Amino acid sequence: MTRRHLTTLAALAAVGCGLPDSEYFGKVPAVDDPHTLTWCNSGEPDSLDPAEGQSTTVTPIMYALFDGLLVFGDDGLPVAGLASRWDVAPDQRRVTFHLRPEARWSDGRPLTAYDVAYQLVRVLHPLTASVNADSLDWLKNNLAYLENRARVLVRDAGGLPAGTIVEVTAVDGKPLADWGDTAPPDPNQRTASRALALRDLGADATAAYATVPPRAAVTIVELSGRPATLPSPDARTWAYVHWDHGLGVYGWVPADELDGAPTADHRVRVVPVAAKHVPGKDGAWADLQADAARPRAEVEVTNADLLMLPEVLGIRVVDAQTLVVEASDPTPSIVATGASRAMRPTPRAAVSRHPRTWTAPATIVTSGPMRLAEHAPRDHLTLVRSATYRDPAEVKLDRLTVLSIDEQAASANLYFTGVCDAVAANNIPQSYLAALSTGNHGKPYRDYTVAPYLGTYFAVVNTKRFDNVHLRRALTLALDRSRIAGFLRGGEIGVASYTPGTPIADLTDEDLRTCGVTRTTPGVALVIERGKLCYVPPPGLEFDPDRARAELAQAKAEMGDRFPKEIVYKFNIGFEAHKLVSEYIQAQWQDVLHIGVRLEQQEWQVFLNDTRQLEYQVARLGWIGSAADPEVEFVRIWRCGSPNNRPAWCNPAFDALLDEAAQMTDPAARLAKVRAAEAILVEEAPIIPMFVYTQKNLQRPYVRGLPENLFAQPSLWRAWRDPDWRQRR
Amino acid sequence: MLRLIVSRLAGGVAVLAAVATITFLLLHAAPGGPFSRERRLQPAVQRNIEDRYHLHDPLWQQYTRYMGGLARGDLGHSMKRPETVGAIIKRHFPYSLTLGLMAIGFAAVFGTLLGVLAAARKNTWVDYAAMSVALIGISIPSLVLGPIAIRYLALELGWVPAARADGVVGYLAPAAVLGLIYAGTIARLARASMIETLGADYIRTARAKGVSERGVVWRHGLRLGLLPVVSYLGPATAGLISGSFVVEKIFQIPGLGFYFVDSVTSRDYPVLTGLLVFYVGFLVVANLLVDLAYGWLDPRIRHSEPAA
Repeated sequence: MTRRHLTTLAALAAVGCGLPDSEYFGKVPAVDDPHTLTWCNSGEPDSLDPAEGQSTTVTPIMYALFDGLLVFGDDGLPVAGLASRWDVAPDQRRVTFHLRPEARWSDGRPLTAYDVAYQLVRVLHPLTASVNADSLDWLKNNLAYLENRARVLVRDAGGLPAGTIVEVTAVDGKPLADWGDTAPPDPNQRTASRALALRDLGADATAAYATVPPRAAVTIVELSGRPATLPSPDARTWAYVHWDHGLGVYGWVPADELDGAPTADHRVRVVPVAAKHVPGKDGAWADLQADAARPRAEVEVTNADLLMLPEVLGIRVVDAQTLVVEASDPTPSIVATGASRAMRPTPRAAVSRHPRTWTAPATIVTSGPMRLAEHAPRDHLTLVRSATYRDPAEVKLDRLTVLSIDEQAASANLYFTGVCDAVAANNIPQSYLAALSTGNHGKPYRDYTVAPYLGTYFAVVNTKRFDNVHLRRALTLALDRSRIAGFLRGGEIGVASYTPGTPIADLTDEDLRTCGVTRTTPGVALVIERGKLCYVPPPGLEFDPDRARAELAQAKAEMGDRFPKEIVYKFNIGFEAHKLVSEYIQAQWQDVLHIGVRLEQQEWQVFLNDTRQLEYQVARLGWIGSAADPEVEFVRIWRCGSPNNRPAWCNPAFDALLDEAAQMTDPAARLAKVRAAEAILVEEAPIIPMFVYTQKNLQRPYVRGLPENLFAQPSLWRAWRDPDWRQRR
Repeated sequence: MLRLIVSRLAGGVAVLAAVATITFLLLHAAPGGPFSRERRLQPAVQRNIEDRYHLHDPLWQQYTRYMGGLARGDLGHSMKRPETVGAIIKRHFPYSLTLGLMAIGFAAVFGTLLGVLAAARKNTWVDYAAMSVALIGISIPSLVLGPIAIRYLALELGWVPAARADGVVGYLAPAAVLGLIYAGTIARLARASMIETLGADYIRTARAKGVSERGVVWRHGLRLGLLPVVSYLGPATAGLISGSFVVEKIFQIPGLGFYFVDSVTSRDYPVLTGLLVFYVGFLVVANLLVDLAYGWLDPRIRHSEPAA
């Protein structure tokens, strides 16, 4: 019943019996309309909402539907999008994006800086509970906002002037931490003595799409006319509120209609935030750091003095085309984040009416090169050319059909029979790979390609149980990575280093110069900014049986009775590759180190739970990066106490190097610190790097404009089908 | 009759409540949760998401909230997908229903044909061949049959699509694969019953009258010979319509089977509980209908007051 069984059997039936030798996998159909494309996705997208969608099944569709300040170029690196240009402050704590005035939503309305600001506020607001909030963790006061403890003083109080940004420390004399599972009284809660007509900003009450009954509680999210919010269309202040009714609904009302404040009298202790967290505050970085270290006095105010408003965040809208976003600390990726999911604007009017279901074709409003025409969940989506996109020439497709195929064999078979023009990366069963790489007279089919993928496959070692570094090193040194591709058959790049990248041997001459390496240098490298910045991860502990045995002897001597008699290696069920890798590890550790290894397969959720609660010795894991940023995407996760640090490894020197890096404004010097930290990581071996993932792609020879990149990030709207491909071959 | 219906429906409601309760408790006791994932979120984000679904409330509160919704006919909102459980069932059940009905149609026609042929040509090569096909249908799982069907019917011959319910043609192969196992059972039932029927006195009379062999088998024998098949079709239909994860997965039919399995692995509490409640409700009603149909077909099993 598992996917593994299904695909194995399907493969036996489909490929095992042997296919005739030919140049291509399956018949190449004739191209009828060059401007249509059928793409076999690897499953149903989790959500089309940029605040919710996370999986690889949604990103290519989301990027086709929603424009970003920056977008991804053919090489997967960010380029100008909604923003035509930007200015970065020298200390890399602030960026000013200048938006294109011609940007439009699919309903024809202009897309402005206010829309982008709304999206940032929406993603970070506790009521949205967006899974993509993580990617904004550099924005000023993001965490305090997310945890609903950031406030702005709406009037002078406690000796502090109105407008001061503060953090709550205690409510009604009880420290915030002691409130436990109950939420402290929220200053943004309001009631109205008359019914509230929820509507668009400035609209007449008769245009209401929801009516809140008198005395029902609503929560203020925004007020008009503040630094990050829309100006009032009339002389009144408007409030954007949330009403917790059904699946929730948002809307604007004149603020003076909110005449009840049930929580106003509660006493709150607050402390002003450090200068470096104050939006709009500039200063020498050294002074700001010194200020952050100084203690600040708590004062007592009441909820009536406070509101949680978007202006506590580092976001300011200067005018409809100018958006300023600010980080507390120097952030080299501050511009690149403009391309992230979390920063792709969503349509406020549609989201307000149906916060959880607005992405249905009937209600969705989009801003990207394509718009959504049809969505049959778990079957297909139809995207058509958007008439309002800012750069029509960039869009090559009139219609894109995305088939949601979550069974790898079905996906490969649909390609074989000519239904799909291209298949999402890696949506091919493990058992097909051998046939695909030899079907063309012993060579790979011409439409089957393998390329590096920004992901790394490794084992994690529970450092609470295996606290001896020599034992961990021995386990690492006993593995010969060069043999992995031999049994996985997907061209996997076996390396002992950690951060993934492109094999150095495959780099262009320009990239070689940027990375400061020669073609014969072993290992991989990650180009961060073409021609400017590159990261070459420090070499790892390569296969060395003699040294492995020496380390093992030392571990035995040091650990004594605590030396494990047997090692249990855990992995999750359902993927043939995990099983093959685990069997290889078992054989190597037995042959080289003479340690017995027991393999344990677990259901996915049980596996996640066990590895999180340190109920394991050694377990398989992988990590896929979504941006060319070694620090944020790969190295930082191994800090002390980081939520994804499953080995529970904690090294003060490693953390100190990353702390130092975080204060540096020179990108190259900063990368050097990150590299030094990574060197400690691989030497201490809480993780055992095994290989850099590859992406296996099937793409018809007539498909143009869909080049592979390290992120497996296709810009589908730029693709087209060439009817004369045979002549152009 | 009315009393029977009322008491069976009341019993059905009790069964539904029990199923919902047991599922709810078992799921919450299982390790992991709907929002545990490989890439862990910031604690604040995790917390806000779990708060949205009231996962921090005491279990009894979550339980009473869920059962309260259920009593009002509200199956809740998926924790993993942007839609309600009701919407999921409404959209995806028709796929399972179509597949199930086509499968049972195939099973009934093909199975009966095999069975009658085998009975009419008892102990000849026709009988052996037909019974071998039935045996294959019963013993080879759809997990194996499905890919073989794809290999030959789709990849080699191109008669059917390799996957997806794209029009009626898309259902042919999966319906045949799914129906074959039932066809095998039906064929064996029909053969045994037909052999018995063909030995009956009235058949001998028909033959003596000079009715052709074809007429004897198809006109006179079939009616009585099919009775066991008809009574088997009731439960089989209910079983088939409730979806087949394996066949739906192999052929990528977007039916409900996927949600059954996926909601277990992703711990989507409302979806799994809702689907179980839906199916149990469906089975309760289906069984009631079958019982009523039996009574209508055969006066001997018509329901009467229980004897004191």
